[in-house]
Amino acid sequence: MIPFKFSIAKNQSEALGLIHQHQHAAFLAGGTNILDLMKEHVAQPTEIIDLGRLPLSTIKSTNTGISLGALAKNTETANHPLIRKDYPVLSKAILAGASAQIRNMASNGGNLMQRTRCSYFYDINMPCNKRVPGSGCAAMKGFNRMHAIFGWSDQCVAVYPSDMAIALSALNANVKVMQQNGSERSIPFTDFHVLPKDHPEKDNSLNHGELITSIELPKNNFASHSSYIKVRDRNSYAFALVSVAAGFELEGNTIKTAHIAMGGVAHKPWRALKAEAFLKDKAATFANFIKAADLEMSSAKPLSHNKFKIEMGKQTLIHAFEVALKG
Amino acid sequence: MKQNKSPLSPEEEKLFGDLMPEELNEVLSSGLQRRHFLKLMGLASAGLLVSHMVGAEQLFARSVEFDEIPDLIPTAIENGINVSFKVNSGTKKVLIDSRMTLLDTLRERIGLTGSKKGCDHGQCGACTVIVDGNRVLSCLTLAASCEGKSIITIEGLAKDNELNPMQQAFLKHDGFQCGFCTPGQICSAVALMKEAKEGQASFVTQNIRDQAGAVMLSDEEIAERMSGNICRCGAYPNIVAAIKEAQTGKNIEQNWLFAG
Amino acid sequence: MENTNKIIGKGIDRIDGIMKITGKASYATDYPAKNMAYAVLFKSTIASGKIVQINTTDAEKSPGVIQIITHENAPKLNIKGGLRGGALLQGPEIIFHGQHIGMVVAETFEQATAAAHLVQVKYQQDKTEKIDFDELAKNPEMPKGKELADLVRGAGKSALAQAEVKIEEEYETPIEHHHPMEPHATVAVWEGENVILYNGSQIINGAQTAAAATLNLKPEQVRIVSPYIGGGFGSKGGQWANLVLTAVAAQMVKRPVKLALTRQQMFNSVGLRQRNIQKISLGATKEGVLTTLAHETISHTAVDFEYIEPCGDCSKIMYEVPNSLISYRVVPMNLILPTYTRGPGKSTGSFALECAMDELAHQLKMDPIALRIKNEPKKDPSNGKPWSSRTTVKCLEEGAKAFGWEKRKAIPGTHFSGENLIGYGVACGTYPARQRDSSANIKLTLKNGQVYATVEIAASDLGTGTNTILAQTAADGLGIPLSRITMKIGDSDLPPAAGSVGSVGASSFANAVNDACGKITDELLAKSGKQFFVRPTANDLMISEKIAAFETQSSSKAPAEAEQYSAHSFNANFAEVSINKLTGMVKVTRFLAVTGAGKILNPKTARSQIIGGNIWGIGMALTEESVVDPRYGNFATRSFADYHVPANLDVGQLDAMFINEVDLIPNKMGVKGIGEVGIVGVAAAIANAVFNATGKRIRSLPITPDKLLPS
Repeated sequence: MIPFKFSIAKNQSEALGLIHQHQHAAFLAGGTNILDLMKEHVAQPTEIIDLGRLPLSTIKSTNTGISLGALAKNTETANHPLIRKDYPVLSKAILAGASAQIRNMASNGGNLMQRTRCSYFYDINMPCNKRVPGSGCAAMKGFNRMHAIFGWSDQCVAVYPSDMAIALSALNANVKVMQQNGSERSIPFTDFHVLPKDHPEKDNSLNHGELITSIELPKNNFASHSSYIKVRDRNSYAFALVSVAAGFELEGNTIKTAHIAMGGVAHKPWRALKAEAFLKDKAATFANFIKAADLEMSSAKPLSHNKFKIEMGKQTLIHAFEVALKG
Repeated sequence: MKQNKSPLSPEEEKLFGDLMPEELNEVLSSGLQRRHFLKLMGLASAGLLVSHMVGAEQLFARSVEFDEIPDLIPTAIENGINVSFKVNSGTKKVLIDSRMTLLDTLRERIGLTGSKKGCDHGQCGACTVIVDGNRVLSCLTLAASCEGKSIITIEGLAKDNELNPMQQAFLKHDGFQCGFCTPGQICSAVALMKEAKEGQASFVTQNIRDQAGAVMLSDEEIAERMSGNICRCGAYPNIVAAIKEAQTGKNIEQNWLFAG
Repeated sequence: MENTNKIIGKGIDRIDGIMKITGKASYATDYPAKNMAYAVLFKSTIASGKIVQINTTDAEKSPGVIQIITHENAPKLNIKGGLRGGALLQGPEIIFHGQHIGMVVAETFEQATAAAHLVQVKYQQDKTEKIDFDELAKNPEMPKGKELADLVRGAGKSALAQAEVKIEEEYETPIEHHHPMEPHATVAVWEGENVILYNGSQIINGAQTAAAATLNLKPEQVRIVSPYIGGGFGSKGGQWANLVLTAVAAQMVKRPVKLALTRQQMFNSVGLRQRNIQKISLGATKEGVLTTLAHETISHTAVDFEYIEPCGDCSKIMYEVPNSLISYRVVPMNLILPTYTRGPGKSTGSFALECAMDELAHQLKMDPIALRIKNEPKKDPSNGKPWSSRTTVKCLEEGAKAFGWEKRKAIPGTHFSGENLIGYGVACGTYPARQRDSSANIKLTLKNGQVYATVEIAASDLGTGTNTILAQTAADGLGIPLSRITMKIGDSDLPPAAGSVGSVGASSFANAVNDACGKITDELLAKSGKQFFVRPTANDLMISEKIAAFETQSSSKAPAEAEQYSAHSFNANFAEVSINKLTGMVKVTRFLAVTGAGKILNPKTARSQIIGGNIWGIGMALTEESVVDPRYGNFATRSFADYHVPANLDVGQLDAMFINEVDLIPNKMGVKGIGEVGIVGVAAAIANAVFNATGKRIRSLPITPDKLLPS
């Protein structure tokens, strides 16, 4: 770690003021990712602003659904009675990630700010456009088993690692952000994270100095027909090879709408729009599940080490659909 | 910073109480001093320590830690921060470099070396401690962010000469081999008991939407909830048995089989 | 002697357990020292070539830095002193990616780490670097080691042509890393001309002599202190550069120095289990009688030193077969030196052999247990020596009963449970039983009518239970209750002993302590000058003769006649797996290891050793793999997030069963060792269970979900 100044922000405006003064300042919430990155010298902030004292950890009902405070812990969120009852796919996705200790530390806002676990990104001796723009991408022709099959660019093939965010994507969440001047803006979840394109150094649409204050969940009608399936190299405490969050609004055996997002396959939570469109107003049958999964995976572009993710993605989609249907 | 006021563990207290009762009060009030050790060593060579098993050996090896750990010199470090928090039964005030993790602060500045550095990146759980009631990774926690918090480490689990029931259960079920991950495992397991009481769910919980309150953990539930603590020796089944015994309070069978 | 065996064989709690559960057990970096400085290593970022320039200007100016040590200012060391893996900062040459090229010593760990990041290095890169195993393995070389020369019996592999039934397959195992939970670390404290090294060491005296020789010191100038070791699994057997570099740093800055490897540095600092390509050719009659067994292995080693794990060892002795070939070929690579890793050769070799046997059984439509029993050898096929004892058949039969083998479906892919496929697998294993020279000292004192004993031996306990089994041995050998025995191990100042390596620890240490107990009793008897009808214990004699203090030391070695026999531990492993038919995720739901390992000194700690080995096998079978990037020679898997040691949820119900056997041929106590055998055959049992569940024969480990997808 390089030396940094440490300060504890007493309130939002102080946090925004501090971060604005320093181009190389960073917010500290749970710390589970940024400390890791700082120890590897991947992140080198010269100023750390601890957000731990800000009053942003409330989880509450709103007229439109539920508001998750940005600083509420992952554990608290996953176990909140309203989330378990009405958004079980979110509980399940959060509980699929990391370990109990990390979920006790990690905040909701911080979860969205996680950076890729691409090992070339983490190894400062390797070329990486995300870490050092213009230096190249070692993963493109390297060991890219964990990497993207959708939406990658010739600049970056990394995947976004969060489980929680996959459920948030399927749930059509909105991210509330406080800007420097104190005004708030709301970012639809599917626009929050971005594809790498020519600027893989950018993970999301947040500007420097903006502060996530809450995540807003709209109401949904698929709590009883939702699932989160995660495929990984060990049974717990591992990042996803592929994961799927799925929810069906059913009428009888007909799917009114499907809400599907995939993890481990792209630089952002991959909303399975093709599968969703196909399943809309269709019977919830195994045959249709296969067709929807095939359709979604048909546009995948695998890399040298991850062709398996196409078949794995398909099977995981089907499995998630079956579990969601069973409820 | 004076480091010699750290409380005695039950074993140490018993050791001193048995062998040097006249010094016990002094040790309790002012901490272990080198002269106490010199006397103990004399007793050791007379064989009086044996009923305290290998424990006594370690006490000697660790004697220097009870001497002063000199404070960092403010001008010699960058971004010095004075931080104060509760550790086990006492409050600690330490000057640290802003970069110091809670783990390194406990180990290098406070002399509590029970918490271990297995990976320093939140990928093994050996550094698990309990902060304000919750198990967290001290390697990914900046000490500077712990101002005013309350921290329990492995050294603080035994109370009033009694091991924590979780410690007892780990011993009985051989929930470790090398012992390096053990402080983290036990801190994790102790906090898990609170989580279970609160009815927290896990990824293997059958129906997340059911919220029945306190949960009695199945083997699979224990295994999932303890998967953040890696044990390379492979004591997992024993750890599960120990936690089960600690949670149920019932005797869990130990099974080794002989045939032929 | 009248060893009453009151405590030996009992499953008592570990005597050092209380230290471990209270956080008081002191591992290397837990030792305090006044005025400690902190060292951090920095490493090469090329695989082959040399350093042209190291610019340390910025690093030296960094706050808190005391000294920067590189090949330009490091003292001259003896590179042939017995440490493994080189990297001693003796010159600019680079022979593997991640070789240590220097260290920063600073006032704090944070300052040292930050400064190490500021060092700038210019290299001249050797473009002929050998880092692509797949390419290199096409043209392997003969190994240098004589023990690895081709071993041909009968007509060798050529007999395969006449076989009625054949299996010819290649099995691949990846690089694995030991990754003990305690990263290798040392605290070095100089006292004048002498140095104390607090350092986890599986071989206390080996660490001492290697450190001394490398530092150009006499052995008695170096003291190794290592009462607790946070796991080793072979990586703390031979010692590596970091041990001595800590001493060098402490000498140069004239302060105690602490140096711990980071988890990332563990990948290229302390050895690894090499990648192997093993070709197994089996020939058999239609009735399942083996006629040919060829086991041909290709491995890699370092460019400057040869270490090859003996993958063909199990194939030498497991089955009666008239024609056989065991061969090794090797490719030197610009990669850290491979080294002993739990069950070296046997664990990986048994994966190939025992999967091939399963394939043969399947082809013959025979039960795999029956096939093995049919080819059971009466004596050691590799040398014609009689077995001291052999328990393979008993392990298979008892295991089959206890596991419910009859529930196995012979046709793969036909056993379902909900959305999961269920499979059963079996595989055998073996590991040699040996006793190595060791000595022990026993001190008895009489206080207030009670006898106390201190047992001293430079043994090590890396979680194996050494402390406990030796205290049990001494309690029985002296007739003294366990609570009055103090164990002193893990210190090179104690009487020299073998190491906790190659499953020789328990037999070597326990026999040494047992012999010392016998000797001290003899001496006390002689001292009493009396004759007894019933041989008294040392305890009795100390009391009856009112002896205040008595002490003796003795040395032990393997019985001479042991050489005339082939002595091994044997096992049979039974695995049940459950595999999600859509996602391919595997869980080992049940596992039973049946082990014939002679006398079990403490079934509680022995069971932990066995299930620990089993879990290593689960990791080998399902999760563990280190990947070298063939463009750079670095590890693309570089942290615990990329390298998957099994987690708690990966492990289902494990059971350990021991065969009651008395085999006093390999050593007087009849102890055979269990540290290694617990992993041997495990990966094969799981891979065979995966085949039984899915019909997919995965010959390349680990069996990750991508390898089991439908289609």
